[in-house]
Amino acid sequence: MRYCIDLHNHSCLSPCGSDSLLPAVLAMEAADKGIDMLALTDHNSGRNLPAFAEACEIVGITGIFGLEVTTLEEIHVLTLFETVREALEFGQWIESILPRVHNSARLFGNQFVCDVRGTIIEEADLFLYGPADITFDALIEQTLEFGGLAIPAHIDRPANSVTANLGFLPELPYSAVESIAMPPTVETHGYTVTQGSDAHYIEHIGRRRCFIESASDGFSGLRSALTAGAVSYLGF
Amino acid sequence: MMNVKELSTKLEYTVFALPDPVAQVTDGYTSDLLSDVMGNAAEDSVLITIQAHRNTIAVASLIGIKAIVLCNGRMPSPDMVVAAEQETVALLGTAENQFTTSHRIAAALGIS
Repeated sequence: MRYCIDLHNHSCLSPCGSDSLLPAVLAMEAADKGIDMLALTDHNSGRNLPAFAEACEIVGITGIFGLEVTTLEEIHVLTLFETVREALEFGQWIESILPRVHNSARLFGNQFVCDVRGTIIEEADLFLYGPADITFDALIEQTLEFGGLAIPAHIDRPANSVTANLGFLPELPYSAVESIAMPPTVETHGYTVTQGSDAHYIEHIGRRRCFIESASDGFSGLRSALTAGAVSYLGF
Repeated sequence: MMNVKELSTKLEYTVFALPDPVAQVTDGYTSDLLSDVMGNAAEDSVLITIQAHRNTIAVASLIGIKAIVLCNGRMPSPDMVVAAEQETVALLGTAENQFTTSHRIAAALGIS
């Protein structure tokens, strides 16, 4: 079967994400746009994943539970997990190694944690943009060891990408690499390439996606498809 | 000590935003890692960097950095210029690299 996937999206928890981008809104809009497997990947925190999981179940799509982690080198990496429990545990660890800086909502934006209805449960006080006290190489290793998928984000972007910040793509066992442009404008060295919306506003939802060939729309199917490179793209 | 207008004129920088020309700068900090800037730069500094995007303004404002010099001819994104005006941070540019820029600013401020 062919499934439509979008593995990179933010919610109102990310300081740079719109306050209107509630986890449930993300799930509903993505379902409307025909996305079968959808990840929520807020910056360095998984606190909106429980609401997201509930919403995905209601709208009938597969939720992928993740974070977009900022490494010491200020490289963004998508870390994706099968269950909310794993992602929350990983997220707690990442939050524990973030700089102890309070968020300034005026400068960086709000960090709302909400439930599936969009009711604000808390405002995260810790500035979530990062960086976590872990190197790029170590994060890839830790994520995989934790049973997750590790995907360097937007490797073709001039800021906060592995290509921009290190100058090259180290040879590591990535689950895939994410590119904004298709075909990618940077060398991807044979790694499987994904495309994701990186939605920060409601109108971004579904703007980039790709397709996997898989026996199931579950996490293991996703993992196998990425490993096999069974990914196709709109218009290609 | 020197104000941002004087600094910009003396070193012939391109001016992208100059919301408060008489803001005083007393020190400098050179870094392209914003987390490093956040942790270590002093208030009233001029930041020497190639990070030509809006987040740099947010970090500068948080710390009280008065001016940013974008090196190597990097052009600021349009939203960076808007943010600089809003947050009252001078945004300047030069074709020179970070080393040369740091050296020249230190000399101009009399701290070399």
